Amino acid sequence: MRVLIVEDDADVAATLKASLAADEHEVDLAVDGELGESMALNGAYDVIVLDRMLPKKLGVSVVRDLRQQGVSTPVLILSALHDEDHRVEGLNAGANDYLGKPFSTRELLARVRALWHGRGREPQTRLQVGDLEMDLLTRIVKRGGKKLDLQPREFRLLEYLMRHAGQTVTRKMLLENVWDYHFDPQTNVIDVHISRLRSKIDRDFSQSLLHTVRGSGYRLEV
Amino acid sequence: MDSKRLQRSPSEGGFRVRQSRFALFRTTTFRLALAQAGVVLAFVAALLLSIYFTTVGQLEAESDAAADGEFASLERVYSEGGMRELSQQATVRAARAGSMLYVLAEGSGAVIAGDFQQLPSQPGDSAERVDFRFERPDQDGRVTRGRARGRLGRLLGGPILLVARDMSDDEAITNRITRALWTVAVLGLLLSVASGLIASWLASRRVETIASAALDVMAGDLARRAPVRSDGDEFDGLAEAFNAMLDRIEQLIQATRSAGDAIAHDLRSPLTRFRQRLETALEAPPDAEADREALRKAADEADRLLEMFAGVLRLARVEASGNWTLQRIDATAILRDLAEFYEPAAEERGLRFQSSVEDGLALSGEAGLFAQAASNLIENAIKYTPDGGRIELRAWLRPDGRMEFNVLDDGPGIAPGERDRVLERFVRLESARSSPGAGLGLSLVAAVARLHRGGLHLRDGLAVGGRRGLGAALVLPAEMRP
Repeated sequence: MRVLIVEDDADVAATLKASLAADEHEVDLAVDGELGESMALNGAYDVIVLDRMLPKKLGVSVVRDLRQQGVSTPVLILSALHDEDHRVEGLNAGANDYLGKPFSTRELLARVRALWHGRGREPQTRLQVGDLEMDLLTRIVKRGGKKLDLQPREFRLLEYLMRHAGQTVTRKMLLENVWDYHFDPQTNVIDVHISRLRSKIDRDFSQSLLHTVRGSGYRLEV
Repeated sequence: MDSKRLQRSPSEGGFRVRQSRFALFRTTTFRLALAQAGVVLAFVAALLLSIYFTTVGQLEAESDAAADGEFASLERVYSEGGMRELSQQATVRAARAGSMLYVLAEGSGAVIAGDFQQLPSQPGDSAERVDFRFERPDQDGRVTRGRARGRLGRLLGGPILLVARDMSDDEAITNRITRALWTVAVLGLLLSVASGLIASWLASRRVETIASAALDVMAGDLARRAPVRSDGDEFDGLAEAFNAMLDRIEQLIQATRSAGDAIAHDLRSPLTRFRQRLETALEAPPDAEADREALRKAADEADRLLEMFAGVLRLARVEASGNWTLQRIDATAILRDLAEFYEPAAEERGLRFQSSVEDGLALSGEAGLFAQAASNLIENAIKYTPDGGRIELRAWLRPDGRMEFNVLDDGPGIAPGERDRVLERFVRLESARSSPGAGLGLSLVAAVARLHRGGLHLRDGLAVGGRRGLGAALVLPAEMRP
């Protein structure tokens, strides 16, 4: 996939480029907001990674203007000011995700991939991963035809994992998207939720669907 | 105040505002006093002018009336007794001591009788008002000068009559009045300028004390405060506001300083560990698996360091207040969600986890910070309560309109003497050394509580075997139910 990185810090940009390239993405680099915007307008990118503080034009203004010009490419804003108001401001301007610096490369890669997979998808009423099925209307979850009994939050957790089936989702992504929490718990609370969910969807079946990706997070796949 | 003087660096010495004589004239109070003096002066001038015209004008009017009466009386003497009678009367009246002056002249202007040897001016056809200066010898032969006002006219049939009043006495009065008025005017001017000077000196002295306190603080004496005289005037108000500002600044500087010290102190050991780990890996014989493990551990260490930085930054931002938009938030929903979120983690540890959150709790706040503060308290309880213990969450609206959120546990607790100390940043008790964390959790809760105009209180928690665990109470002003 083609990724545009708009970042003025040469070191950060080079590191980002290297890790995205290592993940087999085609990467272009812009060093300021105006250049970034014109490249985003002209190039067919799958994902744009945009720094918030940019010379010539702020990241938030770039997103807002891109959206006004009909560019719907998913945008991830990077910011050293990872605070609630800036996050909300970025998302309101039309960004799809917001990641505070410092971040781990794995976190960034997981989010870039999630953005790409999530784009332009039709609203679904049914999700399926292997023999695991979820009906979003009746809120019934079945595995191998057998109905599973999930709590509402477990349902949302599984829904998020199923929507990102085959991709690694980080604990931070789960915290933000399933619980809407923007702080890092010091305890292993996410792991406990995952292990509870795992006991419901995987325990009685020979094939495991919910995998732990060491050092990163989790992945739901056959 | 002279900005140049303020810009001087403390190292140059003489770092004080000096009050020169000229500086006084530039002060606002002095300018105001001067303007006021101008107004006073204009008023005095108007008053004096009106006094002058009423007194001096009145004297002239009276003397005119007297002269007119005398003129009319002599006119009657002439019409009844003719020229002879008039001439006689004029001579008699002129000889009488008094302030009235008479001159009778023929139609041609040659003087027949009277006080002067000639007329001050040629009369017109009708009697007219004259005002003239004269010189004449008095009884002792000395020449006296004077001023007279009166009536000069041609009588029926030719003779010219002048009746005037010697104004010399009046003039003396007038001069005295004028002198007095001038004296008063000059005195008034001097007084108002002097009072302006004194007022501006007093005011600038008060301002000066505040300015010199500011300069002392700038020079490094953070504890310096402007004196407050406690008579509650506007300078006291200024000094108090100024001192409150200095208190806040000092507090922030202290906080920054201690945070800096604490960061330096707390980062030294993880950074050293970090370096050692890399060094050990470099010195060991190459082994892909061991190297990877070393890198992983180094990355974890770096994560911890970054987390600590993030914690410090977050705390600093909360403590700096401002910038936060407080909205009505549903505390009940947030607390119930958190209870649901943490319950599995507690149960995993074999902790009994109970939660009772009242319906309809709302407060004016920042949802993210409130959730984070509450979660810090819950996480602390989970971290420090030994396996098999109990944790209880309670939230309710107190009768005083505040909501209270308690996290009670039966863990080791904190000795009452140390409870205040753990609210400070980076303070971790010896007993907590083994568990992860930077010692910022409770400081953040306390800062969030302050931001919401509430407080965090540490008390006894749940009873277990004759002692008590820790009870953390977050008390915040609640919004009334709609």
